[in-house]
Amino acid sequence: MFKMIGIILILLSGTLAGFHKARQFAARPRQIREMILALQRLETEITYGLTPLPDAMAKMAEQAKEPLRTVWSSASRWMSPLMRLSAQESIQRALNDNWKRTAMRSSEKEILHQLSYTLGTSDRQDQIKHIALAAQQLKHEEASAREDQIKYEKISKSLGLLIGALIVILIF
Amino acid sequence: MNLSWLEWLPETIKSLLLQISPDILIQMEEVRIREGRPLEINGPEGHRFVTLQGTLTLDAKTAYFPKRDDSRRMLDLISNHSLYTMEEELRKGFVTVPGGHRVGLAGRTVLSGGHVELIRDISGFNMRIAREIRGVADPILPYLIDLRARRIRHTLILSPPQHGKTTLMRDLARQISSGGYGQSEMSLQGIKVGIVDERSEIAGSLRGVPSFDVGPRTDVMDACPKAEGMMMMIRSMSPEVLMVDEIGRMEDANAVTEGLHAGITVIATAHGAGTDELKQRPALALLLENQMFERYVVLNRTSQGLGFRILDQQQRTLQLRDTQGRVQGGGSLV
Repeated sequence: MFKMIGIILILLSGTLAGFHKARQFAARPRQIREMILALQRLETEITYGLTPLPDAMAKMAEQAKEPLRTVWSSASRWMSPLMRLSAQESIQRALNDNWKRTAMRSSEKEILHQLSYTLGTSDRQDQIKHIALAAQQLKHEEASAREDQIKYEKISKSLGLLIGALIVILIF
Repeated sequence: MNLSWLEWLPETIKSLLLQISPDILIQMEEVRIREGRPLEINGPEGHRFVTLQGTLTLDAKTAYFPKRDDSRRMLDLISNHSLYTMEEELRKGFVTVPGGHRVGLAGRTVLSGGHVELIRDISGFNMRIAREIRGVADPILPYLIDLRARRIRHTLILSPPQHGKTTLMRDLARQISSGGYGQSEMSLQGIKVGIVDERSEIAGSLRGVPSFDVGPRTDVMDACPKAEGMMMMIRSMSPEVLMVDEIGRMEDANAVTEGLHAGITVIATAHGAGTDELKQRPALALLLENQMFERYVVLNRTSQGLGFRILDQQQRTLQLRDTQGRVQGGGSLV
């Protein structure tokens, strides 16, 4: 009886782990896309709205979905004058604190990390260039993330169940 | 003690300055940050360099040398992390921060069509600490009132830079606009004052709202070219007194003349140590020749205090007060 329950538990957790992995594969390109859209919004805020960076980030947070919302809102909060942090430090802190909650990988983080060095430190035209460059790089990552999704999403689902079954066979 | 200006300096420099004795801090006029060159402060006593221990010295070699990171942080702080919102300021070469303090910028300029488009690679900052000295205009104001006509006379305030023209203008605006100045029996009511504040210095406006008390009946046209601003004020805001800083060009003189003919009192300032110097400047010489101004106030400030000389329309001295406050020449008030 206990054996049965154990087997079911192992199979169940294996399957769930597989589904989780598959969801990550599906979420990554979607979140990268959202990130690109957010950057485009930022570009508009900078060029047409002349919105200061903290306000622009807060606006991006309002319009974004979780988990990106937290990234932007925490960047905006770190930029408050009381914190006395530079824009670069604020963005990097926000990325470091919240990146684990996203499905994105370190390559995307690195792109935003690079962008943080220039954000807010130059005139509009320069800003546009840097944002466009980051968006371009993200698009590249998005394409490879989509490939990964096609390749691995379904496999991970079945793999989870199979690994669960393997463990069961090995144990019993 | 108002040390709000410290908030706009990077942490390293702020902590150095906080080690200086408070007596010196409250009198400080300028903080000069130049990347890779000694950190300098300016006060009534002249300039001093600041060492890494927070002491003051005249020896540049022992001073603290601000680093690249310092200037980056400073720029980040004064621009609210958003330099792109300050293109206009970068063209003009200064930024006004909350509190009315003005940060002058120096760096490499980018030209477009022969004109400065903006400054980049900013490596030099000059923070001019703005102070409100209430009552600084008290000894001067009585000479500017025409008691018979119950109006303020057309006045030109003259002094070299850093002698307190702007501080005087601010207090004049406040007193004229709130009224109740002068001796009690001849005290005047507050009248409408218009300030054209091209360099955001008089009112220290932030998003159009003055940081300083410039009086209840005062309108400020912020960051507006003087000549244009004066005409706009005359046309739309019906000021009784129009105040403008640092006139010097021909179009400024024309606008002043326009204001005078429109029956508006003009109080203006100009660089110069005396009325003789004005004759060399075409625009101002014209105003002088036509006796447009009824009073000239020449300021002279040393570490001892503020001295001034008041001249009438024909440039005769009405009163002279030296920097110790000794008065020479009776000078009638009327």
